Amino acid sequence: MSEQGTTEAAGPGKGQAAGRATASIAGPAGADAAGQTARQTAGQPYAFTAENEAKFQRIIQRYPDKFTALMPTLWLCHDQWGWMRPGLPEWVAGRLDVPLVRVYELLTFYTMFYLENPGRYNLQVCRNVSCHLMGARRIIDHLRARLGVEPGQTDREGLFRLEEAECLGACGYGPMMLVGKDYYENLTIERVDRLIEQWRRGG
Amino acid sequence: MADSARCPKILTANFGVTDSHTLAVYRSRGGFTALARALSSMKPQQVLEEVKASGLRGRGGAGFPAGVKWGFVPQGTGKPVYFLVNADESEPGTFKDRHIMDFDPHLMIEGTILSCYAVNCHDAFVYIRGEYGWLVDRVQVAADEAYAAALLGPNILGSGFGLELIVHKGAGAYICGEETGLINSLEGKKGQPRIKPPFPAVVGFLNCPTVVNNVETVAAVPWIINHGAPAYRAIGTEKSTGTKLMSLSGPVCRPGNYEIPLGLPLRELIFGPEYGRGLLPGIELKAVIPGGSSVPVLTAQEAMEVNLDYESLAAKGSMLGSGGCIVIGDDANMVDVLRVILQFYHHESCGQCTPCREGTGWLDALLERMLDGQGRPDDLQLIERICAGMIGTTICVLSDAAVMPARSFIAKFRSEFEALLPKGDELEDYVPLAVQAELPRSWAEPASAD
Amino acid sequence: MANVIIDGKQLEVALGSNLFEACTLARGELLPHFCYHPVLSIAGVCRMCQVEIEGMPKLQIACNTPVKDGMVVRTRSEKVKTAVQQILEFHLLHHPVDCPVCDQAGECALQEFYMDHGLYHADVDVEDKLRKAKVKPIGRLVMLDAERCVLCARCTRFLSEITGTWELGIFNRGDHSEIDVTPGMTLDNNYSLNTVDICPVGALTSRDFRFRKRVWWLKVTDSVCAGCATGCNMTIHHDQGVAYRFKPRTNPDVNRWWMCDHGRLLYTQIAGPDRLRTPWVRSASGGEPAAAGFDQAYRRIAAWLEQAGPGRKPVLVASPHAMLEEQYALQALLGEQAGGRVLGYRLAGAEQQLADGLLLSADRTPNAAGARRLGMAELSAADLQTHAAADTLLVILDNDLAGLSPEAAQALTGFGLVVYLGTRLDATARLADVTLPGLVYAEKDGLFVNAGGRVQALHAALPAPGEAKPQLALLRDLGELLGHLPAWSTVDDVRSALVARVAAFGALAGGVPPAGLALDAPPEDAAAGAKGGSKRG
Repeated sequence: MSEQGTTEAAGPGKGQAAGRATASIAGPAGADAAGQTARQTAGQPYAFTAENEAKFQRIIQRYPDKFTALMPTLWLCHDQWGWMRPGLPEWVAGRLDVPLVRVYELLTFYTMFYLENPGRYNLQVCRNVSCHLMGARRIIDHLRARLGVEPGQTDREGLFRLEEAECLGACGYGPMMLVGKDYYENLTIERVDRLIEQWRRGG
Repeated sequence: MADSARCPKILTANFGVTDSHTLAVYRSRGGFTALARALSSMKPQQVLEEVKASGLRGRGGAGFPAGVKWGFVPQGTGKPVYFLVNADESEPGTFKDRHIMDFDPHLMIEGTILSCYAVNCHDAFVYIRGEYGWLVDRVQVAADEAYAAALLGPNILGSGFGLELIVHKGAGAYICGEETGLINSLEGKKGQPRIKPPFPAVVGFLNCPTVVNNVETVAAVPWIINHGAPAYRAIGTEKSTGTKLMSLSGPVCRPGNYEIPLGLPLRELIFGPEYGRGLLPGIELKAVIPGGSSVPVLTAQEAMEVNLDYESLAAKGSMLGSGGCIVIGDDANMVDVLRVILQFYHHESCGQCTPCREGTGWLDALLERMLDGQGRPDDLQLIERICAGMIGTTICVLSDAAVMPARSFIAKFRSEFEALLPKGDELEDYVPLAVQAELPRSWAEPASAD
Repeated sequence: MANVIIDGKQLEVALGSNLFEACTLARGELLPHFCYHPVLSIAGVCRMCQVEIEGMPKLQIACNTPVKDGMVVRTRSEKVKTAVQQILEFHLLHHPVDCPVCDQAGECALQEFYMDHGLYHADVDVEDKLRKAKVKPIGRLVMLDAERCVLCARCTRFLSEITGTWELGIFNRGDHSEIDVTPGMTLDNNYSLNTVDICPVGALTSRDFRFRKRVWWLKVTDSVCAGCATGCNMTIHHDQGVAYRFKPRTNPDVNRWWMCDHGRLLYTQIAGPDRLRTPWVRSASGGEPAAAGFDQAYRRIAAWLEQAGPGRKPVLVASPHAMLEEQYALQALLGEQAGGRVLGYRLAGAEQQLADGLLLSADRTPNAAGARRLGMAELSAADLQTHAAADTLLVILDNDLAGLSPEAAQALTGFGLVVYLGTRLDATARLADVTLPGLVYAEKDGLFVNAGGRVQALHAALPAPGEAKPQLALLRDLGELLGHLPAWSTVDDVRSALVARVAAFGALAGGVPPAGLALDAPPEDAAAGAKGGSKRG
C-alpha cells in the first residue's frame, strides 16, 4: 500500500503525548497540506493513541490498498472512541484519503458501526429462529420493561442500550445476548437480572 | 457408511482437548504434518487433484465441489491469486465454524495454507464476522503463533512457499457470507454481492483470481492430505463424501455441534444417544429445518425418513445447506416461526436488487399483519405471487433464501396460516384478488414473437 | 461475430457484446430498464431488462449478458411480461405515486414502463410506506426526493465514475437504502445536472427547471452548445418562443451523454433586457446612441460612405461566436468583393479560462476553429489602433471588442464609422456609431467547428426578437450599401459557396449529419481539441 501515514507517530512510552492532533493528522504522502488542514478543521481534531497509531500503521502496511484498510481502521476508531463521534468519519477519510461517502456508506450499512453512542453496555439479544424457539422474546420483553427502553434505544444514563440482533451463531445455546465481545448464553430472566444488577454496580 | 461409531473425527478431533487452540497442543496431536508432507513431497497440482478426488464439497451452503472450484482459477495470468476463508458464519441455525475457530484455529490455518498451496496463492484473508469478536482475537493469536513458527510468512517450513494471512473482522451483515458480498466487503465497500459474470475465480478480490471457501471446507483438507482421497470417500455416500459438522438447535436435550458421516439419518441426529437425545420433555417433533433457515422446512414425518446428505435432502425438496439443523417442537406456531425468519431476511437484504429489497419487507409486513389478526383472505395467494417475483430474479440467492422457507412453511403447515385469516364472506368490503378489472394493456405482441 | 435470434429476428452482432444493445437493435426500442446506462458500469440491480434465453432455466438480465453465437432470445414472451410486471409492482411498493405533483411526469421511466407493462390493479396494500427525504435541496441546482428513488445507482455511479467527485451515496441497507448527499457536502460540481438527466424518475429534479413547464408542451430542436470550444451536442427545449432548458444530445465522439452546468444554463441569457431588438444609431453630430429603425441606421451608414468618398477604407473584425457561414460571408463579401481587410477573428488571448479536464474547454467560444480554417488570425488592440483613421470604416461581426479590452475600446473611437453587428447592448454597442441587431445561436441555422475540428449544425429554435435579423441578412445589406450585391441570399447558398471555394470545407459537400462531420485536423486544432478534452467524459 502506497499510503504512508504520519512519520511522527509517537514511539512506545510516549503515551498521551502522541495525542497531539498535529502529529497524527499528517495524512497520505503526496496529499497537499492545505487540503488536510481543511479536512481537519471540518471536523474535530482526533488522534489515535500511540498503541492504536502503531496498529493503524500496520493496517495500512499490510492491506493491499487504502480502501481495504478502511474497515479495520473504522474498527480501530470504535476500539478507541466507542463509536464514530462527530467529525471522526471525516478524519478517517482524510487519513486514508478515501472519498467521505465511502466511509458513511460503510457506517450505515454495517450494523456494528455506530454513528451514535451505543451506551456502556449494549445488550444485543438474538431474536432469530433457534433463540426464538427457546424463549428469546421473553428475555427481550423483560429487558424492555426492566430498562425502560425499546429496542434500538439507549437508556437515559447512557448505561444500557437494548438491541434485537439477528442470528449471532449461538443457536444451540439460546436465548443469548452479545455484550461487548462477550456471549451470554442459555439466558434465563433471573440470570439477566443478576447481570443487569452487576453492571449497574459498575462491573 | 452412516455408522457413527466407525466415523473418524476429521474436524472435531481436538474439540474438548485442553488448550487445543494452541500451536503446541495442535502439533502434539499431529497438526501441521499434512502441511509438511505436502510442501516437501507434493506439487500444488497434486494437492488440488487429491482434494478433487476426495469429493469434498463446499460446506458454506452451496455444496460446490471444492477441488473443481480451485480448478477454475486461471494460472499464470500475472495477477496475484487471493484466497479468502469465509468465516462470516451467520446462517441462522449455524454455529459450527465458531467451534472450529474456537477449539482448533490451527486446523483452519493449516487447511488454508494447503488450499493456498494448491492454487498458487500467496495472500489469504480470514473474514470473520464482527460479532465473533473474541474469535477474531483467538485466530489472530493463532496466526501470530504460526508466523513465529515459520508456518506462515515468506518461507513456510523452509519450502520456499510463502503465504501472508490477514485476519479480517467483519462488521455485521449477513450478506457478507455470500462470496462476492464478502469480496466487496473486504474491498472496503458495502457487502453487496456482485453480478456474475465475471466469476470470482477469474475476476474477484481487487479484480484478481479469487477463491472463497468456508472454514469447515478448508478444515477438512489436512485430513484428506494425510489420509488420502480414497479414505475420505470411504466416509459418507457416493456423492456426499466425508463428514459434516451439524449444528443442532431448538428444543432438544443436547443441542450442539456434531460431526456426522454424511448420509446419517436425520432421525439419528435428533434422537441418537450420541447426538441430540430427543426433544425436551413434553415436546413433540413438529418440523425440522435441516440446513439453516434458508432451506425448505421438513415435516416431522419427512424428517424421520431423510438422511443427512446432499442427494437425500434434495429428493425431499430441501437442502443440506450449511448444516444448521433447527428442530421445531409442537409448542411452536409455524406462522410465528416464519415471521421470525422473514424478519431476518428483511433486515439483511442488502438493498441492491428490487425484488429482494422490496419483497423481503413486503413478506415480513404481511406476516406481521397476519399475526396481528389483520390478515386478509387472499394473503396466502399474495404471498405466493410475491415469492414468484422474488425467486431467481436477483443477483444473489438471499431473495431465494427468503422464498424457500415462506413457500415450504405455507405448503406444509397451511392450516396454521389459514386459521389466522378471515374468510372472504366475513368481510363486508372484500373484493377477491381474482375478480379484478381487466384493463386494456398496451403490451404489443408482434407476429414474429412466439 | 455472433448470430443471434431475438424475438424471431435474426441479426449479427459482435461476439461478447452487450445483449441489452442487441435487443435494442432487434426491437427497435429499448428494453425496460432503470439502472442500465451505456457508459456507466453495469449495476444489474433494477432487474427490469430480464429476457428469456433458450437453454437457460431462469430469466437473465440482458444488461449483464454477453452475446454468444446461436443465442435465441425472447423479450416479449409471457414469462418476461410477468416478470417485468412483478418488478414494477415491487418498485411501486414504497413509491409515493405522487405523479400529479412530480415534475418528472411526462418523462418518467417508471410511468412509461408501467404504461407498457403494468398490472393496473393494486395488490400493493402496504399501509405504512417508508418515509425518506423529500424536497431536499442537495445542491444549487438539484432537488432530491428519496421516496421516488428506484435505487438504480446511476447518479452515484456518474459521480464516482465520470466526475470523480463522490457527493452522493446510497446509505443504509435493504428497503431503508436511501440516496443522499454525503454529510457536510453539497452536489455542486459543474456537471450536477447530468444526475437529473440520468435519473429515470422524479428523485432528482432540476431546481432551475422544476414546475416551470410540463414537459409535454416542450418542442425539441437539435443544437450545439455555444459555451465553449467543445461543442457539446444538445437540444433546446422551448415553447412559444421561449427556451426552458438545454439538455445534452448523445454524441459518443464529442460529449458522450453529458453537458456541463455552465453550458446548460446559457439558455437563461438568450432573452434578457440587454438583447437588441432594434438598431441603435449615434447621430453624425455625436452624443449617445439611441434606438432607431433600420431606415435610419442604413441612412447613417450611406451618408458616411457618401461623405468619405472613394478613398474610404473598410476594415473588418470577425468573431469566434459567429457561425461559419457568417464568418465566410464577412470574408468573401465585405472582404474580397468590397475590398475590406479582415484584421482577425478575435482579440489575442480573449475569452480563455481554465479547462476542467472533462468537457469544458479553456476556449470559451464555440467557433474559433471555423475562423482559423478560413485563414483568419487573432488580432490585438494595437492592430485596431494602427487602422483607426477618419477615412476608415470598421465593421465588427458579433464581437464585443470594447467589453473585452479597454485598449480596443479606445481604438474604436479613432475610426470614421464603426458598424457593429451585435446581439446585446454591450460596451461595443455603446461605442459604435451604428449597431445592427442580430440573432444568437438558438435563433438561426448554421455551423460551428469545435476544437477537435468537427463541423456541427445548429438549427433555429426560437424566433428573432423584435426587428433583429440574421447576421447574413445584415451582411448582405452592408454589401449592398458598399455597392456589392452578393450572389447568395440564404444560409444554404452561403454554405454551398463555402464548400465550393474553401478547400478546407470541401468535405461538407455531402451535408452535415446530426452527429457532425470531423474534418482533418490541422495541428493547432488537434492540440486545442486535446486540451478541451472533447473525447473524454
